[in-house]
Amino acid sequence: MIFEILAIGLIVSAVLALFLEEVVYSVAALAGTFLFTSIIYVINGAYFAAIFTFAVGVGTLAVLFLSGEMLGEKPTKKASPIRTGGLIGAGVLLSLPAIFLSVSTQTTILADVTFGDALWNLRGVDVLLQALVILTVALGIAIVLFERRKKK
Amino acid sequence: MLAIGIYGLLTNRQLLKVFISIELIATAATLNFVMLASPLGLGEALLILAFSVDTAVSGVILALLVIVSKRYGTSDLSKIMQKMQEKETPEVEAE
Repeated sequence: MIFEILAIGLIVSAVLALFLEEVVYSVAALAGTFLFTSIIYVINGAYFAAIFTFAVGVGTLAVLFLSGEMLGEKPTKKASPIRTGGLIGAGVLLSLPAIFLSVSTQTTILADVTFGDALWNLRGVDVLLQALVILTVALGIAIVLFERRKKK
Repeated sequence: MLAIGIYGLLTNRQLLKVFISIELIATAATLNFVMLASPLGLGEALLILAFSVDTAVSGVILALLVIVSKRYGTSDLSKIMQKMQEKETPEVEAE
């Protein structure tokens, strides 16, 4: 029952995030999306995924709030409650397939693999390459900023 | 959620909403990684790859968004296209 409620909340907040007129309200609805996703992960036992989602979500939302205030244009007309209600109804309707058409997961030989094993033994090279890519990006940005400051 | 994100990407004219659509698509992908992974640990390990890519994409999109908004003074895609065409037209006429 909890999963169904969370699924409905997730889809409704996603719909509201996209179709609300005011950018700040959209970002608040996106916060709801991240929150529901994290709770779904926790219920399924994926604690690391929940923590990562929460951390990335908080960062994204902080940036989006700032840029939303900076760049967002005020809507000309106020959002009507009927439209908001319609959006919530559409979200509930869209979440029905997620509730009734659930996909069952299969257990394989790797069923006892823990997060640490998967991260370092199965995907160790990937993790190292990701770290290399992120370091290269950070270095590139630092070089660009340094050159720009030098020109000034 | 993927379908909602793609629909929003195709229909919204505001740059921030386009960014939110991309975030929704990324969230849908990561949700699939965890929910459909048969050993949960492997799904979570894959999720880290998805998150790092998502964060890098978000950074690039936000940077582009700020640059475009500052250059054209608006975050509406149709207005930006209009201004781009206005800028291009005098050059074509001069040629």
